[in-house]
Amino acid sequence: MSAAERGALEPVQRNDLLGWLTTTDHKRIGILYLTTSLGYFLVAGALAIVIRTQLARPDNTVVGAHAFAQLFTLHGTAMIFLFVAPFALGLANFLIPLQIGAPDMAFPRLNATSYWLFLFGGLVIFAGAASSEGAAATGWTAYAPLSVLKEGTGLGQDLWIVGVFLVSVATILTSINFVTTVFIYRAPGMTMWRIPVFTWEMVATSLLIFMAFPALAADLLLLFVDRNLGGHAFDPNAGGSALLWQHLFWFFGHPEVYVMILPYFGVISEIIPVFSRKPIFGYSGLVLSAFAIAGLSMGVWAHHMFTTGAVNNPFFSFVSFLIAVPTGVKFFNWIATMWRGSISFATPMLFSIGFLLNFLLGGVTGVMVASPPIDFQAQDSYFVVAHMHYVLGGGSLFAIFAALFFWWPKMFGVKLGEGLGKLCFWLLFVGFNVTFFPMHFMGLDGMPRRVFTYANLGQLPLLNLIATAGSYVMLAGVIAFAANVIVSTRKREPVGPDPWGANSLEWWTSSPPPEHNFHSLPPIRSERPVFDAKHPDVAARTPR
Amino acid sequence: MARAYPGSSPPKTGYEPGVHGQTWPATATAQASVLASDWVLFTIVGLAVVVLVWGLILFAVTRWRRRDGGGDEFPPQFRTNNPLEIAWTVAPLILVCALFAYTYRAEADVENLAPHPDVTIHVQGYMWGWRFGYAGGTTLEGSALAPPEMVIPLGETTRIELTSSDVNHAFWVPDFLFKRDAIPGRATAFDLRPSKLGTFAGRCAEFCGLNHALMSFSVRVVPPEDYARWRGRNAR
Repeated sequence: MSAAERGALEPVQRNDLLGWLTTTDHKRIGILYLTTSLGYFLVAGALAIVIRTQLARPDNTVVGAHAFAQLFTLHGTAMIFLFVAPFALGLANFLIPLQIGAPDMAFPRLNATSYWLFLFGGLVIFAGAASSEGAAATGWTAYAPLSVLKEGTGLGQDLWIVGVFLVSVATILTSINFVTTVFIYRAPGMTMWRIPVFTWEMVATSLLIFMAFPALAADLLLLFVDRNLGGHAFDPNAGGSALLWQHLFWFFGHPEVYVMILPYFGVISEIIPVFSRKPIFGYSGLVLSAFAIAGLSMGVWAHHMFTTGAVNNPFFSFVSFLIAVPTGVKFFNWIATMWRGSISFATPMLFSIGFLLNFLLGGVTGVMVASPPIDFQAQDSYFVVAHMHYVLGGGSLFAIFAALFFWWPKMFGVKLGEGLGKLCFWLLFVGFNVTFFPMHFMGLDGMPRRVFTYANLGQLPLLNLIATAGSYVMLAGVIAFAANVIVSTRKREPVGPDPWGANSLEWWTSSPPPEHNFHSLPPIRSERPVFDAKHPDVAARTPR
Repeated sequence: MARAYPGSSPPKTGYEPGVHGQTWPATATAQASVLASDWVLFTIVGLAVVVLVWGLILFAVTRWRRRDGGGDEFPPQFRTNNPLEIAWTVAPLILVCALFAYTYRAEADVENLAPHPDVTIHVQGYMWGWRFGYAGGTTLEGSALAPPEMVIPLGETTRIELTSSDVNHAFWVPDFLFKRDAIPGRATAFDLRPSKLGTFAGRCAEFCGLNHALMSFSVRVVPPEDYARWRGRNAR
């Protein structure tokens, strides 16, 4: 269709730099979010390589103690606040209106505001590195009273507070936008029980965000006041409480874990049915378990504080254990979706299977550290570092790559290469496990997290060397992905609307979709309207 | 407050020869034996779950992989199975309740405070060292370059009363399978009943600034009669 045929109904977007800078189109904002968060990922990944290089052998001197503290602070902050969570927001920005058959988000300008707050929040955090005292150096958790001290934590810590605050405001605004869009903007026929699982997971995620992130924002404001305006919220010598920071931080921080995983449960739930040539199994179980996880996750924050001796350990332990139940439901539903299917191993499916295998280990060690007697050893040790990376690296990161390979053709109109894609998967899968599996034993052997050096005793030097070697293999995997992007962009082999034979509405429209998404919609009678329209005979035989 | 190392190269983190640490934990207190039993239980149950679920996943993707030229026929398009879904919700629920029951008792055992401890030591963490104040006597102190050594008697109950004078620290002896946070403005207490002789490495587990990695100490467990002699020598 030419521009003239589209006529006055559809304004033509500027395709130059100004067009992108001023856009309120959810697809462009989504792509901006995705590329920005991937940029932060590359930086945070490079920092991780330096960290692993320093730890390759005991008493190493690649970087000093202060540089090392800045490295792990920026690595954690960027991975969590600027990559894993915002990547999901970018993906949801791109997908939610398409999946529910809407032309855009409910508040397009608010959406653009969120993106720019996120971008500049990240830049403000990193700007600390240019200050005379360096970037923030108290970890991504910035525990008070350490983070209150002016000596040793300079302008970088203040910039960190401001930057994370901007990102948290952006995240809250976006979550309001998502929920409004899903509740108000669905196409005719798209009832709540026909919404694709990814969009459902984003609804649960959004509810979590606006329950949890205000606590973080409040915590950051208190810290800023304590540091710069003479406050004493975290000063026990003046009636404040050193524990208050932890309570507010983890009241945000544990739901944040699920903000960083529920969207990726959604990604997996979209991909597995397509490559098993079956409908998703247990749709309502998957949706309800997302809300069960979200609800329970609001009541587990103090399992990060078992070793304080200041919280009711059994309560927080039990609620944490309970989260295993809805998570297990999801696992069994994914397996049942593959059961008796016709399974093909395109790169998105490989990454999804990698997600299942890795995340299971992270889930099991998650139940372990939810038991206080185990946590007394594991807390703040490399065991927790291993657990947390199995969830966020082996889990979320693998789902992120699955999503990139799966929706890349929809976003850019070309497929990523399968050969380089599979190479990328195997390098990341092997590299990830070689890096992080030995860390369980480092923690058990007594290596605390956030140390720039360790004693040349026992098995620690060998385990650390193995982990460092693994991190270089992961780096090779990321390079394979970058090469894939370049090669596939050069080749420019256009794909049709539905290159995978997929289910939800985004696969009905062209790749990439037109500015207002749809020229027409198929009838919506289940959560896979595109499949139903293409295979009416199979749809007629399929129970609803 | 020191903000950087005095010299250009950081001090080494070596411990004296013969100090346990950074190998498989020695489970060196009565409390550690209880903690170890929790580790063993969860590891066995966890491995069983991993084997079961990995088995199901790998079986499914092998058994039902799409052969080359697999045809256009779709596999059976089932969506739900209520009895099965109820089963895989209820079974894990029962499992975690059982695990919780064990955890609850283990934790109560470990945190139980003896009415009359044989030795009481006030431990204070600071940036970046430790103060060990024996009730009614000696105070030992040491920082990164000269880590202090706590001496406690075998088979008797030592009460540790823990606090911090500046920021959060954590008192961790990996061979005891236990740590507790040292928090400014709060006192917290726990008991240790050593079951093995030896010197055990300890360190700070909560990031507390530049020299966090070097904030080590050690705990020497000696026979009670040696302990009495040591106290006699070190009395003020």
